[in-house]
Amino acid sequence: MDQGIEFQLNGERVSYTGSATTRLLDVLRDNFALTGVKCGCKEGECGACSVLLDGKLVNSCMVAMGRVAGASIVTIEGYSKTARFAALNAAYAAVSAVQCGFCTPGMILASEAILAKTPHPTEEEIRAGISGNLCRCTGYNAIVTAIQSAAKEGNGLW
Amino acid sequence: MVNGFNPNSLRQALEIRAANDVIPYAGGTDLMIGEQHPGSYLFLHAVPELKRVYLEDGILHLGAGCTFTELLEHPLTPALLKEALSQIAAPAIRNEGTIGGNIGNGSAKADSALIFFVADASLKLESSTGTRILPIRDFYIGRKQLALHPDELITEVLLPLRWLDGYVYQKVAARKALAISRISFVGLLTLDNGVIAHCATAFGAVSDVVIRRPEIDSMLIGKSVEQVKAIRSDYLAAYDKAIVPTRGRVSSEYRKAVCLNLLLDFLNHYEI
Repeated sequence: MDQGIEFQLNGERVSYTGSATTRLLDVLRDNFALTGVKCGCKEGECGACSVLLDGKLVNSCMVAMGRVAGASIVTIEGYSKTARFAALNAAYAAVSAVQCGFCTPGMILASEAILAKTPHPTEEEIRAGISGNLCRCTGYNAIVTAIQSAAKEGNGLW
Repeated sequence: MVNGFNPNSLRQALEIRAANDVIPYAGGTDLMIGEQHPGSYLFLHAVPELKRVYLEDGILHLGAGCTFTELLEHPLTPALLKEALSQIAAPAIRNEGTIGGNIGNGSAKADSALIFFVADASLKLESSTGTRILPIRDFYIGRKQLALHPDELITEVLLPLRWLDGYVYQKVAARKALAISRISFVGLLTLDNGVIAHCATAFGAVSDVVIRRPEIDSMLIGKSVEQVKAIRSDYLAAYDKAIVPTRGRVSSEYRKAVCLNLLLDFLNHYEI
């Protein structure tokens, strides 16, 4: 009963020995010091804590550690080492789709989830894809433009 | 693991459920809101029997552990259910949230449950000692009160497909995404040579339990559109009496007015 919860974290095999009911968000920030995962609301309303769980976008505040056993988690720290990130990073920077930056890690991972599913999304698909990620300063138009531009400039990456 | 069980078969899950005081964890998207629950979770995501979707004698069997995203992408999911699921929360929640969890949370605001109510769906409830099938209307007893035994799990939704093609679905909420229903409405109507062959309505997020009153809807069944026009006001009056909203984030007067407007829109849509 006491063995730890093992999972892949940004490509590395890790183990967590605490309670299976603890939030993934808290474990990522407090145990693994991955503070790119932001805590905005703890009720699935803002998307700041978004991570990829087996490649799918999830809110890490809504995931208990027992769910993570055997799964692969990618946070912005791991994703930032990829070529896909480089394309999104350049596109976000080019159109100033970042201001305070608090929503950005979640927004980038939501962008990845959109493009992984639909490499050349329509504006409507992009807006639906980021509909769970709130931004309170830049506004959404610049972010939508950035994702469109990443799809174009990063053609072939997704 | 500490405070958790990770079964990978239904049999194992039911044995754990019977032998321990556990909280079933389906997608976690309701359970994880607010303070952490004391005790242990029974994680159901790796139970393959809860992920099955199959058609049998006109009844679509939906595994309770299917996520909203999985059902949105499934070829057997009817259009009405897809329309309701596509408006639940946002992609990250739909990737984890399940229909079994939506029902098991016991809320009259559950957007998938509304569709199961109007379709007169049933639930398959299993324990290590047996299986029972219960109409969803009998499963909800009151707010957060369900006819689920402590050793049971919801394993399937049995959805009859027969009358689902003609529908009007309306979700009234404060915003487009990440929105909790303030009032939700669904009406099914099938016309056969100008005669109403089937009519069913359901109102969500209004009262402690989804409102589904087949005895009122049956006033319209078997009548021609012309005949129905004559009893239209009786039908509306019957619902005016039947809808008793509870006070919530919005006033009961507002809820009631919107319910009746939605019902009127439904009749107007079919030119009744």
